[in-house]
Amino acid sequence: MIRLFARLILRPLRAEPVRTLLTVLSVALGIAVVLAIELASDAAAGSFRSSMETLAGEADYEVTAVGGVDEQLYARLATLPLPISVRPRIEDHAVLMETKQTLPLIGVDLVAHALDATTTTPLADSQGELILASASGRKAGDQVTLRVNDHDYRLTVRAIVPSETSFAVVDIEVAQRLLNRPGRVDRLLVDAPEALEPDLQRALPPGLTLAPFGARTEENRKMLVGFRSNLIILSYIALVVGAFLIYNTISVSVVRRRSEIGILRALGMTRSTVLTMFLAEAAIFGVAGTAVGVPLGRVMADSAVGAIGATVQNLYVSSQPGIIALSLAASLKAILAGLLVTLAAAWAPAREAAAIPPVEAMARGRKDYDTGVRQYRDLAIAAGCALLSLLASQMPAIGRRPLFGYISAALLVLSAALATPAFVHAAMGVTRKFLGVTGLLASQSLDATLRRTAVLIAALITAVAMLVSVGIMVGSFRETVIQWIDSQLKADIFLRPAVPASADRFPTLSVGIAERIAALPMVDMVDQFRAYPIRFRGLPVTLGSGDANLVRRRGAFNLLEGDPEKAYQAMINSDAAIVSEPFVSKHNVHLGDTIQLPLGEQIHPIRVVGVYTDYSNERGYIILHRARLLRYLPDPAPSNLAVYLKPGTPVVTAQRAIETALGDSRVLVLPNQTLRREAIIIFDRTFAITYALELVAVFVAVVGVAGALLALVIDRRRELSLLRFLGAARGQIRRLILCEAGLIGLLAVIGGTVLGGVLSLVLVFVINKQSFGWSIQFHIPIAILLGALTIIFSATLLAGLYPARVALALNPIEVIHEE
Amino acid sequence: MKRLILVLLVAGSLTAQYRSALPGYQYSFPRDHFDHPEFQTEWWYYTGNLRDTEGRELGFELTFFRQGVDRAAKPATWAVRDVYLAHLALTDITGQRFFHAERLNRAGPGLAGVDEAARRVWNGNWNVTWINDSTMHLQAIDPRFSLSLQLRSRKPPAIHGENGVSQKAQGAGRASHYVSLTRLEVSGEVKLGEERRQVSGQAWMDHEFFTHQLDPDQVGWDWMSLQLNDGRELMIFQLRRRDGTIDPNSSGTLIERDGRTRHLNQIKMTPGRRWNGYPVEWSVEAAGVKLLVKTRMDQQELVSKQPQAPTYWEGAVAVSGDATGVGYLEMTGYRAAVSFGKP
Repeated sequence: MIRLFARLILRPLRAEPVRTLLTVLSVALGIAVVLAIELASDAAAGSFRSSMETLAGEADYEVTAVGGVDEQLYARLATLPLPISVRPRIEDHAVLMETKQTLPLIGVDLVAHALDATTTTPLADSQGELILASASGRKAGDQVTLRVNDHDYRLTVRAIVPSETSFAVVDIEVAQRLLNRPGRVDRLLVDAPEALEPDLQRALPPGLTLAPFGARTEENRKMLVGFRSNLIILSYIALVVGAFLIYNTISVSVVRRRSEIGILRALGMTRSTVLTMFLAEAAIFGVAGTAVGVPLGRVMADSAVGAIGATVQNLYVSSQPGIIALSLAASLKAILAGLLVTLAAAWAPAREAAAIPPVEAMARGRKDYDTGVRQYRDLAIAAGCALLSLLASQMPAIGRRPLFGYISAALLVLSAALATPAFVHAAMGVTRKFLGVTGLLASQSLDATLRRTAVLIAALITAVAMLVSVGIMVGSFRETVIQWIDSQLKADIFLRPAVPASADRFPTLSVGIAERIAALPMVDMVDQFRAYPIRFRGLPVTLGSGDANLVRRRGAFNLLEGDPEKAYQAMINSDAAIVSEPFVSKHNVHLGDTIQLPLGEQIHPIRVVGVYTDYSNERGYIILHRARLLRYLPDPAPSNLAVYLKPGTPVVTAQRAIETALGDSRVLVLPNQTLRREAIIIFDRTFAITYALELVAVFVAVVGVAGALLALVIDRRRELSLLRFLGAARGQIRRLILCEAGLIGLLAVIGGTVLGGVLSLVLVFVINKQSFGWSIQFHIPIAILLGALTIIFSATLLAGLYPARVALALNPIEVIHEE
Repeated sequence: MKRLILVLLVAGSLTAQYRSALPGYQYSFPRDHFDHPEFQTEWWYYTGNLRDTEGRELGFELTFFRQGVDRAAKPATWAVRDVYLAHLALTDITGQRFFHAERLNRAGPGLAGVDEAARRVWNGNWNVTWINDSTMHLQAIDPRFSLSLQLRSRKPPAIHGENGVSQKAQGAGRASHYVSLTRLEVSGEVKLGEERRQVSGQAWMDHEFFTHQLDPDQVGWDWMSLQLNDGRELMIFQLRRRDGTIDPNSSGTLIERDGRTRHLNQIKMTPGRRWNGYPVEWSVEAAGVKLLVKTRMDQQELVSKQPQAPTYWEGAVAVSGDATGVGYLEMTGYRAAVSFGKP
């Protein structure tokens, strides 16, 4: 049995090492990508615990409020006659200027902590001193400069705490001063038994939130669900392309050994043994692919983590990428996925092998490929799949996951695969008329081997379609964002603190800067925008405020719903807000609804008077008029400024004047053009990982083409040699093989473009809309797609070079002698 | 005198800003029950022996310390003008269990402090509130146990020492202003685990304020407050010197049945049986009586989480001999010499 397996399966694999290697490589790449994305997205979003959570230690509850918790509440809770303990925290970020590293800046009550044996830090002069993690590379007694918001502060390192992650701890007094949060802390961590929750709740003003500790982590996880599942689905594309190639490879080996199988069956081998043999062959590819794919995936994860981390940071939440851990669970998942996909792909050809009747042994010579492909039946099924796909695309999301969208996309791919043989057959009918003798031969050859070429082309079509569809989606998104930026960025110059910001981190500018700039002669007006990261119905949201008067005059928001004039009037005169489109789809809030918003210590009803387009992040915005929000959250510091210049003022002149007016404040002054460029760079960085995944899928497909063409050449030795005998020149043979490769590439590009175009509709209007709630205008990035398709076509041509060389190396006499 | 868990945590305190305890101090109550920020160190000390309705014997200690750090600090919420340390202990004599807890705070937005208007001394949710000039309510919460006790004073405040000062070492200012409520009748509730127990018994309050009273040569002290069944109370302490001798400034006070006090210069304290280095049994001779003072439970040592803070023994004792009674004993400087900071 083993010997039989070795002769029937292993020997041919050894005989064609290049082809075997290519197949293994394609499986390995598929597995590697799946694993890499799994590992990297875990590490990038960390355990979804923001760095703050990690540093907070353990607690039972946390008390938070929009705009911060009044420090009086700390004393009020600490003196309650309940067996609880309370710890206040102020949390933000700062840049350690010596290393240019952004690190969490944490304010704690150092006096209350002084009794903990772990903090060996006496209190003494808490002014101007900080405790640093050893990761910062400083030592006790050093003077360091900390940039907080738009100011630099000199502080002395009081102590160093051993830690691999960087952070700075200061006393609560220092934190309030550096961050300009007088009288406030960001949250109170409470240790209390569960039974006391009602008592705690009673002790809090209505606007405050009492939540189990770690709720934020859970909320971050919830927020990232859509992002993660889309990324993981995308990572499986390469594996699916790999599956087509396995199908092709096993088909080839079945077809080649038809007569041997017939003999073996005649000699009494059972059907199930035959089935097992070919499944085992697939398993060899699976196992070998896994063996290469797992370490490769670990390596790829290293490069992927940065890209995914950037996306998470830009769209969702600030978190430092964690350490990539090659967990057993993740590895097993990738291995299992790899093996299952290879076995599933091999199932159909292996079954066909098992079905070969013993009488085949009687057939003399080699009966070539079974062209009796049931094209019409397959076409009918394909049409059915397409119809189902259309239906699925109309279904709503399930729990913010576009499950039916994925099903719709999968059905489309299946439909395309089933329609491919008919497509190839029809196409060959056309090409044989136009491409001369070589084209005729190539077309006939492809048509004759339709069964395997169709699978090969289907693989390539899938890869190309994915590239095209994701390309169109990202391109549409990009175009939409560019148009949105054009309409949104009306001001001439923008200002923000010279420290990194992210989707949930809004450093502020010092109070007074806006007034100083507004007083400059060339400045027409200055809008002050303030943002707060808040929680709304258990999910992170951004609460912002701007000057509605100014917006009214300049029209900086693009209202999708609601009358702009009325909306801005309502914002100025009442508790009304405009909200962003992702907010609406995420929270199922509609125009005219009233939402209950906790602001400070009270809950305020806020009417939704407009919905505007926004693509800057996926958390969603609630925007109030600045003067209105200041009533409830009286901190006047803006997060950024938009400066409108008087007509005719050169931007450079104004920029210089503003920089002079800023004095020693550390503020970035960005002219409109610069900010636009920056926005596009951020956008591209956000989608970098998507492009990378696409490229891997296409690479796998091209590798597959090379392998499959090689098999075709070897199987057609007889025919090719005959052609040589009949006087075909070496150049003609090479042209023939290249022409076949070119035809495969061309068909894949045409089919892929058509399928990709349809898929992109599903991606843009179903999957994207349901996962993220963004309206995207359909836009085909023609230049980029043409470029990509040309590269793919050229790559398939190149993939034909090696098989062509093999074909030329055949010795016609030897081959004919075999007969 | 006594107990100094002091706040060694506070480095480089500015002693010069504060006033010393000098003879001639005129007490005025209830004002002098509250804080004296012009002195650097101040404490309020409550100890007592209790019994619940089922006969379970308990002891408790609740102490509030105030240590001045910088009187000149700007009056901002989080400014560290003083730090407030507090100790809480419960001795379950019948169950042979000992619990203790400690906490440190600055005044902050109302975390700890002394409020004369509200007649309150507190640190987090441990507090003592004066209901009238002779009655106070004491409350302290810990996850393992809590106290809610009414303390009614049966005697006027007893002022220790001579001419308003209790001398602790040779030299002017090496002294404290020291006043006690020596017979506090207790009733209230002790919650231990999930069980609420109605308790009654006797408690003692010490209030002391000073700036830097001790001598660097003094390495520790032994102090006791004894409430005798004949209606009298006795407070005695001895200061141990580095060379093993007893400082001649060791002294005591006898409080008569009617509240009159007698300063005692001649006292004799002889250590007996030891537990973990601490003499937990003493023979005492003072004011013409011979007493045997024995701990009611050996393990009443308070070990701080913070290695720089001192460890000491403070616990409930029983008195026999010429008179019987109960009391509290404090012993410091047995683990390591108590440091008193820079003079």
